[in-house]
Amino acid sequence: MSAGDQQTLTRGVQLSAAAFTYQHPGRPHPAISGLDLDVAPGERVLLAGASGSGKSTLLHAVAGVLHDEDAACGGSLLLDGRSPDATRGRAGLVQQEPESQVMLSRVGDDVAFSCENLAVPPEEIPARVSQALKAVGLGALRDDHPTAHLSGGQKQRLALAGVLAMRPGLLLLDEPTAHLDPQGRLQVREAVLNVCRATGATLIVVEHQLQTWVEHVDTLLVVEPGGGLRHCVPAQEIHQDEKLRAALIAAGLWVPGHDPVAQLPAWRPSPPNHSQPLLSAAGLDVHRRRPKKHRLGAVAPRPALSGVDIRLRESSATGITGPNGAGKSTLLLTLAGLLEPHGGILTAATVLKSDPSGGLGDSPHLWRAADLSSRIGTVFQEPEHQFVRSTVAGELRLSAQAARRPGTAEPLFTDGEVTARVDTLLTRLGIAHLSEVNPFTLSGGEKRRLSLGTALAAGPQLLMLDEPTFGQDAHTFAELIGLLREHLTSGGSIVAVTHDQALLRALHAEEFAVTAADPEESAPSEPARPRGMGPLLSSAHNASWLGRRNPVGKLAALLLITAALIATIDAVSAAVVTAACFALLPAAGIRLGTFLRRIWIFAAASAAAVWGAALAAEESGSVLMNLGVTTVSTGSLELGLALGARAFAIVLPSVLVFSTTDPTDLADALAQQLRLPARFVLGALAALRLLGLLAQHWTTLGHARRARGLRRQFLSQSFGLLVQAIRMATRLAVAMESRGFGAGERTWARAASFSGADALVLIGGAAIAAAATGTAFAAGTWNLVWT
Amino acid sequence: MPHSAAPSWRHRTWSVSEIVVASTLAVAAGVIFWGWNLSYHAVSTLFLAYPPAASLVAGMWLFPAVLGALIIRKPGAAVYCEMVAAAVSAILGSQWGLGVLLSGFLQGMGAELVLLVFIYRRYSVDVAVLAGAAAGVAGGINENWIASYYQYDAAGTWVHIAGFTLSGAIIAGVLPWMAVRGLAAAGVLGPLRSRRAHTEGLFRAGGPRK
Repeated sequence: MSAGDQQTLTRGVQLSAAAFTYQHPGRPHPAISGLDLDVAPGERVLLAGASGSGKSTLLHAVAGVLHDEDAACGGSLLLDGRSPDATRGRAGLVQQEPESQVMLSRVGDDVAFSCENLAVPPEEIPARVSQALKAVGLGALRDDHPTAHLSGGQKQRLALAGVLAMRPGLLLLDEPTAHLDPQGRLQVREAVLNVCRATGATLIVVEHQLQTWVEHVDTLLVVEPGGGLRHCVPAQEIHQDEKLRAALIAAGLWVPGHDPVAQLPAWRPSPPNHSQPLLSAAGLDVHRRRPKKHRLGAVAPRPALSGVDIRLRESSATGITGPNGAGKSTLLLTLAGLLEPHGGILTAATVLKSDPSGGLGDSPHLWRAADLSSRIGTVFQEPEHQFVRSTVAGELRLSAQAARRPGTAEPLFTDGEVTARVDTLLTRLGIAHLSEVNPFTLSGGEKRRLSLGTALAAGPQLLMLDEPTFGQDAHTFAELIGLLREHLTSGGSIVAVTHDQALLRALHAEEFAVTAADPEESAPSEPARPRGMGPLLSSAHNASWLGRRNPVGKLAALLLITAALIATIDAVSAAVVTAACFALLPAAGIRLGTFLRRIWIFAAASAAAVWGAALAAEESGSVLMNLGVTTVSTGSLELGLALGARAFAIVLPSVLVFSTTDPTDLADALAQQLRLPARFVLGALAALRLLGLLAQHWTTLGHARRARGLRRQFLSQSFGLLVQAIRMATRLAVAMESRGFGAGERTWARAASFSGADALVLIGGAAIAAAATGTAFAAGTWNLVWT
Repeated sequence: MPHSAAPSWRHRTWSVSEIVVASTLAVAAGVIFWGWNLSYHAVSTLFLAYPPAASLVAGMWLFPAVLGALIIRKPGAAVYCEMVAAAVSAILGSQWGLGVLLSGFLQGMGAELVLLVFIYRRYSVDVAVLAGAAAGVAGGINENWIASYYQYDAAGTWVHIAGFTLSGAIIAGVLPWMAVRGLAAAGVLGPLRSRRAHTEGLFRAGGPRK
């Protein structure tokens, strides 16, 4: 064993619970009640139980991240005889969703974060970081590799490295592979097992898919809903003990050797009535972004997938399979009429259009939302994206009501028909008892069925599903198969993007395998920032002279220049600042063309400022234009020009500074040098990393509304975004806290320094501010604004 | 018993989840601003006809202050959310450069003062409307007299400030209040003080513990 391994070797934690009970505030029942449990140091435990049986709550309690003021809890829960709050860093938690476990934008920083929170001496941190990255198989990555470029599986291993850098004695994994493709799943499992072998840490892993872990753990623990422990047995018993197997199957778990498809009633797809496909694509090119009306010089984005030929027939299912990032979902959304094709032909058959007036175009993308939803229904990976009403019945009703007769404003269904459809669906989906419940509060499986219901309520013949069985338990799986088979039997057609072979078998689906167009495209890239979201901050490190300067120095310089501009309304000082900014472009490493592309929109805004003042400022001098109610005079026009020039000049230094400043460096400097509270600075920094992701949610929320038959709905889209933002933030906060964030002293792996060159930036800023003011004075245009 | 008695400091300082939720709300606000810019051109039409009236939609830029305050329900939430939202705008490229930080601070303070008057115990619709309106007044004062982005004549100035205030009361008052009730009903405010906002009456006092 090498010296490096010796260092990572920690004593496994001994965990004991006695009559432990925890009730979330405002919930009628405890999540855990009367739990007795003993886990020996170094023991590996697979924790299983039906959905909603308090498994995540238990892991959170052990990780020491549950401390709500109003929660009711009792009994005891001890790690090596001490309370979880008092053993910060001894237990490390990895949750299921990869995105909300990355805190910082560079790989090295993200791992170092937990060490800093535990106040590990800075000189010790780099060794811990590289050891941890090596242990999870990410040793080949450079410290400044952008975390946004990692795949889901790599992100989960990065989270594991972050936990590992704390040298914990207990690893808590909450369905760590539920969001991953098969390859990522294996990589994460191997990394976990290696770490356990190398460190001797105790392991508790929660998982629905028992076969992923059961061969690699010592003990199988089964908890019952709202209660304590039901089984605590050696893991191998799962192969022999029939009663245990039956109990696990009844709890909806995926038990090795048990095929839920085989338990379903026999079913054969019925032969189609028409030989013609409902929807066919020939040479289709797809891309997330809308094909732009290209401005001159702009290059068309390369399609995510090109030359796709596919035919979708009645009564049959098609499974789109392939590696993550190959463009499967993009293809699905294009077929669904939610994204505009970039090339090739997409043709809906007359049967699908069922439009006697003949007004509907061939490509579904051209249809109105109200015509689309009654022909092609789409079910998104995240059901919550589709919810727009406050009750379950309301959601179904809305879908049925939104459908229209082609080309008219007449509803497709009468009021009576709407009610009948809603009632039938509530029963078919098994959610009749929940009809008045808020959709967001349903369980995962209920949400999944409701999202399918919202598509079915408008009566589409073609159903598009994005990963419909992802992360679902075996009960929900079986119920979904039942519903989808009914749809096929009634002459419908289904397309599903999926990794799930059981789903393909159950529906007798034809497989349409997509391969990555080229390795670069298949690499999971940063969530595409939608157009117009001009990112001044690049995640790539800016290596220019200005880019290497201390952010606080730059900020202070920016502040001085901005103050000098705000103090006066005159074109001369604005011109001086503008000239200085253009002169500084080489120092910032920004090309003139790039800079102009970033600022032209602000020139338009200053033109608006000119117009505003010219029209509505006090009249003075001679009147140039008499508009009846108001006039444009020489005086007001002059004032407007000065205001416009000032507005334009204010933007430029800020664009220059923010284009050359890395957010992480900025946060480091704000917390270390300006002594702003680290909790708030790092909280804001971690949230900022979610920007691209939230923008992606916004776009998906828009697609989901069209798929529901609704036109653009700004308020409902905003509400949907807030829900996702808070959900993500809550998970992110748990991840941060489980890595020791938020209490006590912390250290900084990288000390922010202030050099002579940084002082020069500050002096330069002061000089520009002074030059602007001085020149304006000399020219006699300086005009203090507060007089 | 690990968490029986919450230490008293937790009642005053912000928890990690409060900090992260408030920060994320501000970032989400940045995305909503951007969605608004792409979708709506009402502003430019108003602006062309009578520039001072464009402030009727300026409340859009104030909603993070009241939304953050109603969700977090602790001192400083309005200023913090509005400042982070302003910083996000600055980073994405704002028309006013670093000046947005000043606007963010003053507008946030406007809302914060109203909540202070109610000693952080009332989060009802009337308080939300007052807070939104106060943020609007602060924004109007800043844009006409402090940062002075506009130099309208007397009538124009008053129309601008009145429009800002009205817009703040509705877009940054009533709408955030409704949104928080919706979020509470959706059950996503679990770890926060506002988790039961949907069960509170229109005008009933919402103390920090209920």
